[in-house]
Amino acid sequence: MSAPRVDYFYSFRSPYSYLSGPRGFALADDFEIDLHFRGVIPMMMRGESVPTAKRMHTMRDVKREADRLGMPFGRIHDPLGEGATRTLAVSEYAIDLGRAREFVLTASRAIWGEATDPATDEGLRQICDAAGLDWDGCHAALSDPELAERVEANTQQLVEIGHWGVPVFVFDEEQFWGQDRIDDLALVLADAGLARH
Amino acid sequence: MSKLRDRAEREIGPRLIVAASTVTAPARAAAAARRVSGRSGRLELYFGFDDPASAFAVLDLKRRLEGRKVIFDLLPVIERGIEDDPALERKRVYAITDGRRLGRRIGLTLSRSEPIDPQQTAFLASWVAAAPRGAALTRFCAEACRRLWFESDGPINQGRYEQLWRECFGSAPVADIAAVRANEKQMTNRGPYETPAAWIGGRWFFAQDRSAQIADWLDELGWVVK
Repeated sequence: MSAPRVDYFYSFRSPYSYLSGPRGFALADDFEIDLHFRGVIPMMMRGESVPTAKRMHTMRDVKREADRLGMPFGRIHDPLGEGATRTLAVSEYAIDLGRAREFVLTASRAIWGEATDPATDEGLRQICDAAGLDWDGCHAALSDPELAERVEANTQQLVEIGHWGVPVFVFDEEQFWGQDRIDDLALVLADAGLARH
Repeated sequence: MSKLRDRAEREIGPRLIVAASTVTAPARAAAAARRVSGRSGRLELYFGFDDPASAFAVLDLKRRLEGRKVIFDLLPVIERGIEDDPALERKRVYAITDGRRLGRRIGLTLSRSEPIDPQQTAFLASWVAAAPRGAALTRFCAEACRRLWFESDGPINQGRYEQLWRECFGSAPVADIAAVRANEKQMTNRGPYETPAAWIGGRWFFAQDRSAQIADWLDELGWVVK
């Protein structure tokens, strides 16, 4: 019997997604689940606006949370646009190679903690190299329409389940929104008898 | 867009906001000055009685402030949120699911399965906004939040809350919707756009999600548990 599925909706433009990364992927270490990374197009590229007060608060709040979690944050390069699109395409390629975790964590840290610009070949290549991915394959992924369609499908799926932000985890049709709900998801997974012993 | 402007928007602006947020000396000095002059610290909590996350925050922060010389300033609001938010209704429904998890953290079980219309609890906000701060008000708010979200379902019985008010204050409540509007304005001026939001020493936090940050910040300001 296959392990229960957990969908993990994630945006490279969301600093809260970045904060969720290490603990989100670690769920698959701690529980008998099939974790599916689902990269989505950023809200602002989907025509949704984010008020200035919310943007400002997010930066301050994420800095405090990052400090608490021991994660670098502050040397930022906002990937809105090409940077996000390219990173999403390579993340789909990384999934096919079984290296989604390595790529997603490396890319997010590069964007939010090292000011790397994934919209440039130089920046994206640095990320791919650090994640152990071959550049030729990554470069080809950027123009692969099938990978772009997968990202579109992920984004559409997030809309269809009625959610508006990321990160979101979905287990057994229950949604857990936010990096601060990972512990709650872990409790539910434990209640379901899925903890690895 | 020029390269310089692009870099300012993508890198320099966010970095400046983050860097400025790490400056703590003025807030620490202000807190120290309050202590020297014998005054208490102050935690403002902007909350909605119609909001399960707010109910959790009221109960959770009441407990966390015990032993600290900090005034718990409970400031109810009715109107709030992002203007023209397309996800407003979905957020209200999701708040029920999320409220169940928050309740579990403090050993309580959410008793409601549907959102409460903000107008149904407006009377509570208008009583509390007009009342004097202090232990009686904190007791009333905590008990009202518990009854609303963890002990009842269906329509809200105003008489039950009037009785609770009399138990806490020894007199009848007085409604003042203008005081609620003042709270809403003050909340907006402070920066928060949604409840529950805690304001302490120049910083604000989503109170249901940042208990650890709030406790750390109170410690850093010197409002430690004694």
